[in-house]
Amino acid sequence: MRPDPGPDPSVAIPEPRAAVLPAYVLRVPTGPYRALNPLTKFVIAIASAVVAFGVRGWTGPLSVLVLTAAIAVVAGVSRSLRRFVLATIPIVASILLVNAFLYPGATDVLFRVGPFAATGTGVTVALQAVLRVIAFALSVAVFSLTTATDDFLADLEGRGTGRRLTFVIGSAIRTIPTMGSRAVEIIEAQRARGLDTEGSIRRRLRGIVPLAGPMVFGSLGEVEERTIALEARAFSAPVRRTAMRVLPDSSTQRALRWVVGLGSLVAVAVSVAGRFPLP
Amino acid sequence: MAWLSRQFSTRVIVLIPIAIAINIVLGYTVQTILKLPIYLDSIGTILVGVLAGPIAGALTGILSNLIWQYAPGIGGGTIGPFAITAGVIGLLAGIWGQLAVYRSRPASGTQLLLAALAAAVIVVVVAIPILNNPAYTDPNIGGYPSWVYTAAVVIAAIVAVVVAGFIYIRRDLAGLWVAVAGVVTGIIAAFVSAPISAIAFGGVTGGGTDLLVAALRQGGSDVLHASLGQGLFSDPIDKTITSFVVFMILSGLSGRLLARFPLGERLVRDRAA
Repeated sequence: MRPDPGPDPSVAIPEPRAAVLPAYVLRVPTGPYRALNPLTKFVIAIASAVVAFGVRGWTGPLSVLVLTAAIAVVAGVSRSLRRFVLATIPIVASILLVNAFLYPGATDVLFRVGPFAATGTGVTVALQAVLRVIAFALSVAVFSLTTATDDFLADLEGRGTGRRLTFVIGSAIRTIPTMGSRAVEIIEAQRARGLDTEGSIRRRLRGIVPLAGPMVFGSLGEVEERTIALEARAFSAPVRRTAMRVLPDSSTQRALRWVVGLGSLVAVAVSVAGRFPLP
Repeated sequence: MAWLSRQFSTRVIVLIPIAIAINIVLGYTVQTILKLPIYLDSIGTILVGVLAGPIAGALTGILSNLIWQYAPGIGGGTIGPFAITAGVIGLLAGIWGQLAVYRSRPASGTQLLLAALAAAVIVVVVAIPILNNPAYTDPNIGGYPSWVYTAAVVIAAIVAVVVAGFIYIRRDLAGLWVAVAGVVTGIIAAFVSAPISAIAFGGVTGGGTDLLVAALRQGGSDVLHASLGQGLFSDPIDKTITSFVVFMILSGLSGRLLARFPLGERLVRDRAA
């Protein structure tokens, strides 16, 4: 909350805000695509996922793939996409092997490797599933590369999302790296006491309990302190917080969100009903 | 509404992010680094469900998977669509919490022995229909590798012994209910996951469990049934282990701390008695 709400807090006073707040609070993301409102980018990401998974055949995944790649190029994040594509390699390999060679009921054999036969139906299904996974991974990557968590949460809270939900999301995202570094500390502390955490699977398994135990109990012990800290800062006060950061939005973007969001659902419904058979 | 807002006290709001982080950090370690054929990514979800209630549990599960998928620097993988499963797991955990499944129930003598036996029998009863799946046993369907069948029998036997031993050594009947809750959660989770895996990812997940999917496919199952077969194998084991981990975490926390959560009074046993 702002320290001095003025004589009547219900009256909006946009002008002094710009004068009082430091620049880093007011800074908004700029550049192509990045400058869009975070909610617009989120709706586009979710709609892409819905179309990629929901519209069957080649059309859904391919159109999402092309569209997302185009956005990535416009936003200038295409170089960073490689990491996200590389992360899909285990599942892509698994999809290709399991479906190409072991597709149930397929008989159109393409070639044989030992006792296993690759079938045309299986390869088609596998390639479609691979495209779907990559299209989905790219849509996720474009969202997380172009949107700062704080911006997204600030925007959600400005739209009236409860502070409890935005706190849960923001706090969870901040806690994960903290817990990761705590895990490293615990491993090192246990190693200093003679625990062997490397080598065979059995040794690594034995390392789980001395790692997970202190990590879980340590973080659960913090719940009490954090609760008191939040309550001392009026967390359950029944008023809305003043929004310090207002991210730009426009009626065009609002229309875009509705069109993209509803459009993706309609596309899935049409595809599932089989009205317009697409390749 | 009072029922709903009681589940979201400030203490629960603080617990949920920590639970989400536990889910993601432990799940990532087990699945990606250790590459074990289980998930162990719902300890936090079940913990919140048991302490706070079904809706809080479901929210924890759904947010865990969405954050795991979409958060910058953490995101990626294929976990997002399984948010539905995670939500169901949290919902069930909330119901177990309201039924006081996780409350410690000290026992001794014949009662304890009977409970340990009953738990072992339940594990075996659950394992039999899974093992009798035609894909495992019918030689006409295909060359099903026998080592998977052997492994399944061995794992079922080990689980039965461990669960019975847990109840007997800790002298606590709660182990029986926790095992039942874990198995039921696992079976429901398998039925929810299979269609998601079949529709979104061609029936596989990119983890250690795909070996099972391949084996079931070779045994003649279709895409959905192969995924379901894999889920019915992995999920009950995974959720039973997770439930026991949660039970041990809860018994390691002080009653003073537990009692402050919305469902706390159903966890703390009456010490005056």
